[in-house]
Amino acid sequence: MRELLRMVIVLTVICGFSGLVLSFTNQATSEQRENQLLTYVQGPSIQAALAGREYDNDPIQDRLSVDLGKDEKGDPVEITVFPARKNGEMVGLAYASSGMGYGGEIGVMVAFDEDGKVAGIGIMTHSETPGLGARVEEPGFTDQFRGLETKDGVKLSQDGGKINGISGASLSSKAVASAVDKAAARFSRVKEEVS
Amino acid sequence: MSVVNEFTKGLWKEIPPFRLVLGLCPVLAVTTAAENGMAMGLATTFVLVCSNVLISLIRKVIPKKVRIASFIVVIASFVVIVELMMQAYYYPMYQILGLFIPLIVVNCIILGRAEAFASKNPILPSLADGLGMGIGFTLSLTFLGSVREIIGNGTWFGMPVMWGSYEPFSVMVKAPGAFLCLGVILGLMNWISSMQKRHT
Repeated sequence: MRELLRMVIVLTVICGFSGLVLSFTNQATSEQRENQLLTYVQGPSIQAALAGREYDNDPIQDRLSVDLGKDEKGDPVEITVFPARKNGEMVGLAYASSGMGYGGEIGVMVAFDEDGKVAGIGIMTHSETPGLGARVEEPGFTDQFRGLETKDGVKLSQDGGKINGISGASLSSKAVASAVDKAAARFSRVKEEVS
Repeated sequence: MSVVNEFTKGLWKEIPPFRLVLGLCPVLAVTTAAENGMAMGLATTFVLVCSNVLISLIRKVIPKKVRIASFIVVIASFVVIVELMMQAYYYPMYQILGLFIPLIVVNCIILGRAEAFASKNPILPSLADGLGMGIGFTLSLTFLGSVREIIGNGTWFGMPVMWGSYEPFSVMVKAPGAFLCLGVILGLMNWISSMQKRHT
């Protein structure tokens, strides 16, 4: 009995101490980690999404968070919006969206111009198969979204839309299209909140 | 004197991947370039040294029956610290090593040293043991990474080192290259050791 008690106490103390140290480290590094994420993950995809647009601000520096109320499950939705401005005037809005691909979630940065057309997209994160699904990163696929109208939804050509999916990777292609579609559905709310 | 011995044994006599042939998963997977190997080695060294010292420190209060569980909690905590630190200050390397950082938890060198050494020895020898093993591991990974990067990509730490018309032998940076390279190095080390034995 005494031995059992000792085991329980020692393990509890070790785990408790470990939790304490980890939560402290987590807190101490959280700001720096977010910066790194902005620089290395979101930064390049924002640039890719806004490629070809002229803007003179730093969308990352000027980022703001937008509260979009609650989703269908009742969880609060808050997204970070990266605005692109020229001479103080809004020329584009970029924010992240995601869709379920073959190997997991695909994170997509979607940029819109001021009247809601897609300006461009950049793939942030994915775990698709190299050579197949991973080809959604290629400009040959992503460039199709440039200047796309989103009023009737964003779909692949096989579903009656305008985007040609990658052969052999329809799930991955669909995931990107649905991510853009999801982002487009939020555009009017986001624009309202930002301006 | 024995502290020095504990330190130097990790550098040649018991150098982890080549002599103990332990922890091969990261050894084979991340040594596609010298820098990756070195970063992985340093991360492992940090965890190894810290967990060795802490485990040696608390070795007398840990009940025998739950020692492995206790070791794993200690090791896992240090691994998460490394992971968070890497995300915060060395993100590009974190993107490359990715999954292999959390996998340090199950690297048998670390649990092996905790069980075989740190749980039976005082702090100073445990520190020396961890440091020696860690440096040995780092050197091995850097060396393996260098060989694979130079032959497979024509660069070393990202700098071109081969002549202009050199055609990279790209199988070396892929999975088979890891096995080829490791096999040749193991063979060479055995050969050197047997030569030494013959001379003494």
